[in-house]
Amino acid sequence: MVAPSQFKQLEKVGNGTYATVYKGLNKTTGVYVALKEVKLDSEEGTPSTAIREISLMKELKHDNIVRLFDVIHTENKLTLVFEFMDNDLKKFMDNRNKGNSHKGLEMDLVKYFQWQLLQGVAFCHENRILHRDLKPQNLLINNRGQLKLGDFGLARAFGIPVNTFSSEVVTLWYRAPDVLMGSRNYCTSIDIWSCGCILAEMIMGKPLFPGSNDEEQLKLIFDTMGTPVEQTWPQVTQLAKYNPLLPPHMPRDLKQLLQNNTEEVLDDNVVDLLHGLLQLNPDARLSAKDALNHPWFAEYNHAN
Amino acid sequence: MFKKKSLEILFDSPVSDDMIKFLTDHALRVIPTQNRNQRYPPSPPGTPSSKNHNGVPSLMTFISRLVRYTNVYTSTLLTTVVYLNRLRELLPSDAAGLPTTCHRIFLACLILSAKYHNDSSPLNKHWTKYTDGMFTLRDVNLMERQLLQLFEWDLRVESEELWDNLYDLANPIRRDLERGAQINKTRQRAKAQAQQKASQFYYHQRNLSACSSTATLLGNSRSGSINSLDILKEYESSSSSSSSTLSSPTYTEEMNYKKYTMDPRYYNTVRPVQHTDPTIYT
Repeated sequence: MVAPSQFKQLEKVGNGTYATVYKGLNKTTGVYVALKEVKLDSEEGTPSTAIREISLMKELKHDNIVRLFDVIHTENKLTLVFEFMDNDLKKFMDNRNKGNSHKGLEMDLVKYFQWQLLQGVAFCHENRILHRDLKPQNLLINNRGQLKLGDFGLARAFGIPVNTFSSEVVTLWYRAPDVLMGSRNYCTSIDIWSCGCILAEMIMGKPLFPGSNDEEQLKLIFDTMGTPVEQTWPQVTQLAKYNPLLPPHMPRDLKQLLQNNTEEVLDDNVVDLLHGLLQLNPDARLSAKDALNHPWFAEYNHAN
Repeated sequence: MFKKKSLEILFDSPVSDDMIKFLTDHALRVIPTQNRNQRYPPSPPGTPSSKNHNGVPSLMTFISRLVRYTNVYTSTLLTTVVYLNRLRELLPSDAAGLPTTCHRIFLACLILSAKYHNDSSPLNKHWTKYTDGMFTLRDVNLMERQLLQLFEWDLRVESEELWDNLYDLANPIRRDLERGAQINKTRQRAKAQAQQKASQFYYHQRNLSACSSTATLLGNSRSGSINSLDILKEYESSSSSSSSTLSSPTYTEEMNYKKYTMDPRYYNTVRPVQHTDPTIYT
């Protein structure tokens, strides 16, 4: 346990799902840290989100996952000491969209960020952990262009028959169609859908499916990716919130949709990867490992 | 074989008395009995040692009451045994405690199991209410914090560890599954042999009648042939007799296995649990 006085609390940086985050300075080492403070409400005791985030993150030591250094646990406050990251992907993209014109990122930057995102996600899945809240705000960036997964407040372990899952997870814009339709035996595919939405958002400079409620979110998804049918997604009609009355839609041309929103030249590889990540049927979606071996990342795969 | 399926069946069955007895035994073993009635309070003196206005309820009743109030999932409840056994290894052998220590230890393990494994779980104020005045909210929050520190926040449970800790409850189910599978295998083999023999006979019979057209089919077929159904019956009887020689005499027929599957004590509704990552299990 580290003494609280060892850190000098500096300016507030933001709020996570259940806590406020401050920049901090380790007085002894002079290293900047992020201090994630969780107010403890005595009626709840230690929040399950904190219990999970700490328990899971202690195990995850990877370049593309933000490192948890220590935990300070007193009766009324819980402080998580993380490695400091200068920015997150949402602020990074917002800063580039000065004025109202949304501008996507350069393709090589999109590729570098997506590669790091998938590396982090693959590592989580290998360790049988689902993040369940991947979105630009939770992807932390430092000045050296490194991207790391953060905010594991909704994360959880899978693989043993003890867990009960909820379908109220992942921020709406990045929530997979099967989860939106009430599925509770989802798995790693829930994070892969979010990775697809984030890839498209980096290219277009604006969210791919910005729905304001569950129904609208599903409508936006089906308008673009086509309405699900039993042939391509067996048992879709059994899902709790499956709506048979939805007007059938053919999938739209994703490449065209993306090209309209960026000056960058889009090759077929990136569109093909996007299709792999945004398969409506969760079982048809690429795994993080498959995505990392996709031809779009050829130069990274030859490198190592 | 069948380890995962046995755990799933165990977790799908309602909480039974022998489960509560099983948990009580393990909770009692965390602090050796002779150390459990000393006056030395393990938690800071500020916490009242125990409000046992009507004396300390037995651990068994304490757990049963908790289960009844919270209708906790069987899986969440049984997984606490993993934490109880981890705690036993962590605590020094001369660890001492109060009469209420085992209750405190069990409750903290159950709270952490619920908060860690289920997306929605009761708040500590609810847990406190379910102890019927035995612990205050501050007690409950303190025991939770102490256990988290002892475990260094590591609450991960792996399937192998789950199996080892729940062996006494899960293995009988596995043995029954294996026996059931054995019965089916012998029956399939018998049926296959019978069909194969019957088709050979049919093939032979057809050639016979084809080449000796004058032979009245009826005459020949009656005396020389055994119709295929007889063959099947003959093998059927021999196969079932062979199955009765299996190790446990009780399993002579399908009926026993059905009785097991229908016995409410063992199943209520076997929810289709889609396993998420098949690669882990043998």
